[in-house]
Amino acid sequence: MTLLLRRGSELRLLVWVAAIALTGFVAVAAAETTAFDRSQVLVPVLFVSMVVLLHAFLAARGLRGDQILLPMAACLTAIGLVLVQRLASSLLANQLSWTVIAAGAFIATILIPRDLTALARFKWSWALLGVALLVSPLLPVIGREINGARIWIGLGRVTFEPWEAVKIVMVVFFAAYLEEYREVIANTRRFGPLPIPPLPYLVPILAMWGFAMIVVIFEKDLGAAVLFLGIFLAMLYMATGESFYTLIGLALLLVGGFVVYHAFGHVQVRVDTWLRPFSEDMRFGAGYQIVQGLFALANGGLFGAGLGNGMPDRIPIVWSDFVFNAFAEETGFAGALALLALYLLFVYRGMLIALRAPTPFLQLLAAGLSFIVALQTLVIVGGNARLIPLTGVTLPFVAYGGSSLVTNWMLVGLLMRVSDLTARARGTE
Amino acid sequence: MTRSIGENIRSVTFVLALAFLISSIGVGYWTLVASDELGSDPFNPRLVSAIRDRPRGTIVDSAGGVLAESVKATDGYKRVYKDRTLSQVVGYASFKYGTAGVEAAYAESLVGQDPADPVATWRARYLNERESPGAVVLAIDPKVQKAAADALGGRRGAIIALDPRTGAILASVSFPNYDASLIADPTTEDTAWDQVSKNVDKPLIDRARLGVYAPGSTFKLVTGATALEVGVNPDTKVRVDDPWQADPSWGSYFVRSSSKAHGDYTMADGYRLSENIYFAKIGLQIGGAKLAEYAQRFGIGSAPKCDIAAAKGQLSNTGSLDRPTLIADTSYGQGELLVSPLQMALVAAAIGRGGVMPTPHYATEVRDAAGNTIRTVAPGAAGQVIRPDTAAKFTTYLVGAVEGPGAFAFGARINGVHVAGKTGTAENPAGPPHGWFVGFAPAEAPTVAVAVIVENSGQGGLDAAPLGGRVMQTALGK
Repeated sequence: MTLLLRRGSELRLLVWVAAIALTGFVAVAAAETTAFDRSQVLVPVLFVSMVVLLHAFLAARGLRGDQILLPMAACLTAIGLVLVQRLASSLLANQLSWTVIAAGAFIATILIPRDLTALARFKWSWALLGVALLVSPLLPVIGREINGARIWIGLGRVTFEPWEAVKIVMVVFFAAYLEEYREVIANTRRFGPLPIPPLPYLVPILAMWGFAMIVVIFEKDLGAAVLFLGIFLAMLYMATGESFYTLIGLALLLVGGFVVYHAFGHVQVRVDTWLRPFSEDMRFGAGYQIVQGLFALANGGLFGAGLGNGMPDRIPIVWSDFVFNAFAEETGFAGALALLALYLLFVYRGMLIALRAPTPFLQLLAAGLSFIVALQTLVIVGGNARLIPLTGVTLPFVAYGGSSLVTNWMLVGLLMRVSDLTARARGTE
Repeated sequence: MTRSIGENIRSVTFVLALAFLISSIGVGYWTLVASDELGSDPFNPRLVSAIRDRPRGTIVDSAGGVLAESVKATDGYKRVYKDRTLSQVVGYASFKYGTAGVEAAYAESLVGQDPADPVATWRARYLNERESPGAVVLAIDPKVQKAAADALGGRRGAIIALDPRTGAILASVSFPNYDASLIADPTTEDTAWDQVSKNVDKPLIDRARLGVYAPGSTFKLVTGATALEVGVNPDTKVRVDDPWQADPSWGSYFVRSSSKAHGDYTMADGYRLSENIYFAKIGLQIGGAKLAEYAQRFGIGSAPKCDIAAAKGQLSNTGSLDRPTLIADTSYGQGELLVSPLQMALVAAAIGRGGVMPTPHYATEVRDAAGNTIRTVAPGAAGQVIRPDTAAKFTTYLVGAVEGPGAFAFGARINGVHVAGKTGTAENPAGPPHGWFVGFAPAEAPTVAVAVIVENSGQGGLDAAPLGGRVMQTALGK
């Protein structure tokens, strides 16, 4: 009984997750078949049981702090499973296995490291791990090329995108490094209103970031490049409060974007399909995917076609690139807004945890991790809605793909650890 | 003083929240604002959604002959098209390549959700129940259609025939055409689409309503009608000496007479012999502003309000006539003019019908599965373009252009019926000139108006006139 009471809010919120998972699967099943099939209920029941077990584990371990992150992450994952069933049911078993692995990674994050602040001490190891992960797809034997991009590693049938994990490693390294040197970087000499960057102190993070950029550009992974730049600028700003760095970074983005646009054919195609996807030469070529995606959004209306009743399956690779549009087509603007609100709430909770955290390292860590989820959501939804050029990043927790699911659950674990530490340090719930 | 990390985190969170707001607005734009426009985009596969799991409505001609229907295939239904000469009008409904023509314009009606039947639409949307679809009936008269297709044969060009009294389109051919059944069939769609969309002759384009050409001498219908409206005396003799320029400021530029004419011309002579210099002088006498005003009233430079999208063409690159040489050239149908055959057929129809311009339409009614009429398509007249007395007077010149001594359009004559018409030869920079004919019959109370274009025809309008004559003859049942 005491176990249940300790994290009561979390358990109550999980009831809603269970309701969403069940109705989602039943709705998809009802739209596709007329006969009721018991196995359709099995998947959500299994998933909800697993999440309740996670909850029980947290309660048993006496974890304190945030009780909303787990239900939110579970809700997003449930929506993801419903959409995989809806859009690519043959991949459901795969995604379920990854969900179990993600749960395992989550538990591991909660269990180790025992002292989270110790992460900061190994910052150079993190930098090295990041570099190793980045180059791993280029190595023989384990490196894999899928759909023209060499950004995977694999063992047997299992493949993984290491850069997903690099995001987290990078945030840990930046947080640790900036905690130590933020004062030096911030309190620099000024030339009028302009700060003179203390270059020697910026070199390590610049090198880390630059290396990541080179590798992902070499691997033709535009989405990763945008995320790395975003994470770098955001962490630098949050640590120093120096908006001048952000401005320089954004200027560099524009200049770099211009150079990259002219240097690489695939970037040009991306931009062109963004600017004029409906033109004659585009709509059946490079622009086909985004045009079909926009048709899906347009079919959504206010309340959507209903789960299983839209036609999002006309969008190529909808389950990974355009899952947001599929959701919006079948649940409408109302559903899409609710989904975005869920992400914003997740980010808000994460930032709240960061604000309350006891040390600069934990603050920067939690804020950086929350920022990843926010930026990734904004970049893919922006691309899906043709606000910005489309890049291949995944919609956190929802899009099909194991690497992203596992790292995002680790991210939730880390945030909850920070929250737990804060609660203990303050001696409150 | 360094800002605290907390303050910085608050700023970043604020920026992120703002970005989420912008994203939501973007999503709202596509789901709510752009929804209607994209929902009816001919390439939206949702319009053909009924194609696989249930039959789509049929498309029939005015005699009840089936032009398009869904037949049972191994995996659901597929669309079959019966008349290749109507490929651009009927269009296609492909799961992958979207829809075109009637299939696009009446897409909702063909899946049992006609806008005039809100109950069926509501049931389909919210109860996922679809009425079995009915039919869209076209005004196409199979006999006239066949006559038009036979007349054009294998030449690049188009023929369109319509009823001036209603605007109903009786026949429409555009060559080259394509086999829409191959595009609608999933097993052949890719190769068929590849072939058709890459063909340099552009068979997908309906030349009759979407092809735009210089009208050549057929534009003299507009110039002459305008002249009569603004009070130019048609019997005043106008001196024609080839070559001609209004004043030396034209430099090396001259208007040429195709017959190297020297003589005094009335308007009747001008039409019968299609004299460019006569019309250039008349055009300059009317003035650019008046000529532009009447051209616009005749629908030049604006898309006809048709149930299937049609081209708008242009009066000139700027839309106005502001230079004397441009006015002179436009008056006899060159300059920067671009018109579609449909537009020229409408000009002829308006003159034949006493100055009243009809609104063109391909379909006449939408029926439900039981054969009951859901709605009729009968748009009223588009408006009075010129006075009835001007139209009547003017018609006599057009009859002269077909029947008079030495008339260019003699090929359009029909025994026992007075035919009004005009040939045209449109210079084009890309090759031999295109041949035009526009006309209507019977001249006194026309029941058919026609426009013919033969691309790169050897003898210009001389080649086109007999084709128009044959189509009108069939339409009149002669």
